Amino acid sequence: MAADTLPVLSGVLRDQRRSLAMWGLALAAVSAMYIGFYPAMGETSDIDAFVRNMPEGLVEAMGYDEMATPAGYLRSTVYGLLAPALLLVFAIGAGARLIAGQEEDGTLELELTSPVARTRLVFGRILALWVDVVILVAVVALATLALVTALDMELGADKILAAATGLLLLVLGFGTIALAVGAATGRRAYGLAVAAGLAVVAFMFDAIGPAIGVDWMTTVSPFSWYIEPNPLAEGVDPGGFALLAAVPVVAAVLGLLTFDRRDLMV
Amino acid sequence: MTEVVIRTDGLVKDYGDVRALAGLDLAVHRGEIFGFLGPNGAGKSTTIRVLLDLLRPTAGRAEVLGVAPRDGGAELRARIGYLPGELAMTGRKTSGELLAHMARLRGGQGGDRIATLAGRFGLDLDRPIRGLSKGNKQKVGVVQAFMHDPELLILDEPSSGLDPLLQREFLDLVTEARDRGATVFMSSHVLSEVQEIASRVAIIRSGEIVDVNDVRTLRNRAGQIVEMRFAERVTSERFTSLPNVEDVTVESWSENGTDGASLSCLLHGEPDALLKAAADYRVVHWSAQDRELEDLFLDFYRVPAAELVTEEVADGGR
Repeated sequence: MAADTLPVLSGVLRDQRRSLAMWGLALAAVSAMYIGFYPAMGETSDIDAFVRNMPEGLVEAMGYDEMATPAGYLRSTVYGLLAPALLLVFAIGAGARLIAGQEEDGTLELELTSPVARTRLVFGRILALWVDVVILVAVVALATLALVTALDMELGADKILAAATGLLLLVLGFGTIALAVGAATGRRAYGLAVAAGLAVVAFMFDAIGPAIGVDWMTTVSPFSWYIEPNPLAEGVDPGGFALLAAVPVVAAVLGLLTFDRRDLMV
Repeated sequence: MTEVVIRTDGLVKDYGDVRALAGLDLAVHRGEIFGFLGPNGAGKSTTIRVLLDLLRPTAGRAEVLGVAPRDGGAELRARIGYLPGELAMTGRKTSGELLAHMARLRGGQGGDRIATLAGRFGLDLDRPIRGLSKGNKQKVGVVQAFMHDPELLILDEPSSGLDPLLQREFLDLVTEARDRGATVFMSSHVLSEVQEIASRVAIIRSGEIVDVNDVRTLRNRAGQIVEMRFAERVTSERFTSLPNVEDVTVESWSENGTDGASLSCLLHGEPDALLKAAADYRVVHWSAQDRELEDLFLDFYRVPAAELVTEEVADGGR
C-alpha cells in the first residue's frame, strides 16, 4: 500500500467512527436478541405446527425445515435475513456516499486537488469500506459465538467462521458495487439503485428459484453462493465463496479505472 | 524571467452540448499575480478545474509548471495551493483536524504552519467545521492553500466572505507569497478584488479571453465620463461621430425661458475633437471624471441576453 493511501483511509475511518460504532451496537443487539430466542423456540410446538401448514417449497426456501437445529435456526433468522439486510443497508449506503455522495456535495474537492492520485483516493475509500464491513461482520460473528457458547448450542466455531466469511464477501460485493457505480457515474443515487436492486434480485432468486424449480436462479444469485448449502451446517463451499470473492475485486477494479478517466464535478 | 507557469492553447471544454470554454488562450508568467476576471458562468471555474485535472479538455491544451495537468498528476498538485470558490465542508471534525488531514495528504508538508496562519486570520482550530460561518470556512480554505508554501497559488474568488480587515490580511499574504517567488492566479467577478495587487489581468467572457493587459493600461482605457451643459440646444449627431467619444446622450431642457442642453459621453484618450466640437456652442458647465475599472469591466460584459442564458447553463457544471 502506497504511503498516500493511508492518510486517505485513516481520514475516512475517522469521519465514520461514530456511525460505525452505532451500527456495531445495533448489529450486536439484534444478533444477540434473535439467537437468545433459540431456547424458547425449542420449547414450543407452535412453530412446528406453523411450519407443517406451510407449502413445502416455501418451507425449504426459507430454511424452516431446519428450524429445530441451531444451524437452521441461525440461517433463517440472523445469517439468512437480518444480518445481510442490515449490513447491506450500511455497506451500500456508505459505498455510494464515499465517492459519489462526496463528489455531489463537494466535500471531495480538497482531497481531489491535494497531491494524491485519483486512484489512491478511490483505493483508500474502498479499503475504508472494506475495513468497516470486516469490523461489523466480526461484531455479528463474535455476538454469535458468545451466545452460542453461553446457551450451549450445538454449533462449531468453524461453522460460525465459515458463515461469517460468506456474509463478509456478500456484503463487500454489493457495497463495492455501490461505490464503483458511484465512482463511475458521480451519482450517489445510481450507486444506491444499482447495488440495492441487484441485492434484492439476488435475494429473490435465492428464495424463489428452489420453490419454482428454476435452477439458473440460484446459479447466478450471489445470495445462493453465500447461503446454499448452509455454511452454518456444511462449512465453506469453495466454489460459491470464490465467486463471492470475485465480486468486490472486479467492482473495485472497474471503479478505479472509470474514476480515473472521467470529469469530476465537485 | 518570462518563464510561463500556466499556459493554455485553444482550450475547449464542452459539458454535453454546452460549450463552457471556446478556445481559451492564456499565459501566466512566473512570479506575477495574475487576475482572471469574468462574470459568473464565463468559464473561470471551468478553466481552474482543467488546470487542477478535475476536468479533461475537450480540445486544445493546458500546461501547468511545464506539464499537462493529467500527466503531472499528484506530483504537480504537490506544487500547487488551491483555494476553491465554494469550499464544501461537513462533519463533526474541527477545522484543526481537517487542516491536519490536509497536511497528511501532503506528506506532512505545511503542518507546522497551520497554527501561525490560523492565528493570523483569527481562525479557531477547535471549532467543528459544520458550524462555521462562510467567512470562517473561507479562512480554513486560505490556510490549507497557503500552508505548504506552494510555487503556484490558484485562488478561485478568494476574498469572498472575508470582512474588509481580513481581506487586507489576505492581500498581504498573497503579496508575501509573490515576494517569495510564487506565482498567483486569482479569479474574480469583481475587479476591485484584484486590481490592487495584480500586475496583469485577463478578462474572460463566454469561454474566451476578450482582453489581457496590465492593470495600468486597463485603467487608461477605462477613460473618462465627460458631462457638459450648454446654454443652447445641441444635437447629439454633432457628437456621436467624433473620434474617442462613445455613449453620447443629450437632454434638452428649458429654464426661465432659456433653452439649453446637457450632454454626457464616454471619452477614451485625447479630448481634442470633443472640445473643438463643444466650442461651437456656449458651454456653461463641464466636468470630466475618471472611470472606475469596474465600469470598464462592465463594458466587456455587455452581451445579448440570449448569450447570457447559455452561460448560466454552462455554469451548471459547478
